Amino acid sequence: MPLNIDFVQILLHMLNFVILAGGLTLLLFNPVRKFIEKRQQQFEARDAENRENALKAESARAEYEQKLAAFENETEAIRLKIEQEAADTAKAYIDSAKAEADAIVAKAEADAEKRKEQILDSAQTEIGELVISAAQKLLADTATPERTQELYDAFIEQASGTAGNKAGQSKAAPAQQNGGSPRNNQQNGGSPRNDQQNGGSPRSKQEDSGS
Amino acid sequence: MKKDRKVRLRVFLIVWIVLIVGLLAAVLIVGLGRGENESIREAMRDLVLHDRNKISFFGLKVNPAVGSAYIVTAVLLIAALLIRIFAIPRFKTVPGKLQAVIEKAVDFFGGMASERASRWVTFVSAYIFSAGVYIFFSTVFELFGIQALSAESRSITLPAPLADINGALAMGVLSFVVILGAGLFSNGPKGALRVLKDFSLPISMSFRLYGALLSGLLVSELVYHYVALSFVLPVIVGVLFTLLHAIIQTYVLTVLVSIFYGEAVEPFKKKNKKRSRKNLESESEGVKE
Repeated sequence: MPLNIDFVQILLHMLNFVILAGGLTLLLFNPVRKFIEKRQQQFEARDAENRENALKAESARAEYEQKLAAFENETEAIRLKIEQEAADTAKAYIDSAKAEADAIVAKAEADAEKRKEQILDSAQTEIGELVISAAQKLLADTATPERTQELYDAFIEQASGTAGNKAGQSKAAPAQQNGGSPRNNQQNGGSPRNDQQNGGSPRSKQEDSGS
Repeated sequence: MKKDRKVRLRVFLIVWIVLIVGLLAAVLIVGLGRGENESIREAMRDLVLHDRNKISFFGLKVNPAVGSAYIVTAVLLIAALLIRIFAIPRFKTVPGKLQAVIEKAVDFFGGMASERASRWVTFVSAYIFSAGVYIFFSTVFELFGIQALSAESRSITLPAPLADINGALAMGVLSFVVILGAGLFSNGPKGALRVLKDFSLPISMSFRLYGALLSGLLVSELVYHYVALSFVLPVIVGVLFTLLHAIIQTYVLTVLVSIFYGEAVEPFKKKNKKRSRKNLESESEGVKE
């Protein structure tokens, strides 16, 4: 054969390589390949687990953010509601206090007016009594029949003047409606000025009695 | 103290250089007459044809490359067994140096097959892995210069197994048989016919291996034949013609096998026939380049 090609030697080389290939496959290639595949599967499993965990974490984060947003909204609503309630309550308190204060003021004014009237009434009574006592004293000092008559007349005139004033005040409104004026009434029934001119004012009387 | 050290160092360097020069001179003087026993022409012829120095292999007179092949196989199987027993059970998730090298080799050849083949990927991966390991280590084997006795009781240096035409032919034919079988099992007679059309495949694969390794062997033998050339130069020649050949030829053969295997097991389609043929040619040309 050319180049010293020998089929026996070719077969011997083939046998050698088949032995080597089988041995290397069994002893080295398969175990290492299995190890690599196993490790790759482990990495893939780990990778899948990591991705799953990442997804879970992402969904948990989204859920947390959603809950946080809802909670914030709810808190804001509660805060607004509480503020509204507080404002309403404060307004109610203020209104109530105002009404109560108004009532107290009104009552106080009414009481004061009533008290004033009472004081005035009692003052008038006292003044009357004082006048009477003063008159009695005066009369006791200067009691003559003429003088007595004069005093009675003056008193009666004064009393009638006072009554006339009251009647004039009560008739003033209808008189105004009818076209009359208080001045007319005063002219007709006597005015306080007349009274004062005629009998003197209570003050002048008091001064008189005092003097 | 420092002066003593300097003196000692000088003495050591002088003695060392004198020894080297003396031994070199002795080697040159003694060795100049050798090599005349076997002329360079005879040595080259023997390396190419292996018609003189035969070894006895279980009673058969065979080329020394057969012995080299079985020695390489024995060493590789023992190493694989040791790795299987001691190293693989201790493999860790984060690999050490040895584990990284082994994993890289398995992953490289396995990936080469799985990229191109669509069927029986594990089988072809194992074949390519074994072929790659065998070609690499059998080529590197030449560097060790293991001595053996020929049948005529001459001392010979065992060559690389694939530097013998029989070893290269065995590798090429075996690869062709694997590809042909894959085509036959995958696509039936049509697949086998498609592979058979490339009848030059085993020849090209074999002679590519043989030529590459033989050229390295011849250059190395040429260098070693003359004693004067046996200093420094063998290192360069060894790296250029042995280590680089080992890496290149391993890559070339495994890539070719994976490409042709992938082509053979590819489902048969008429439309893709021309295109795949073109791809094959361009890929093989790219590899050759």
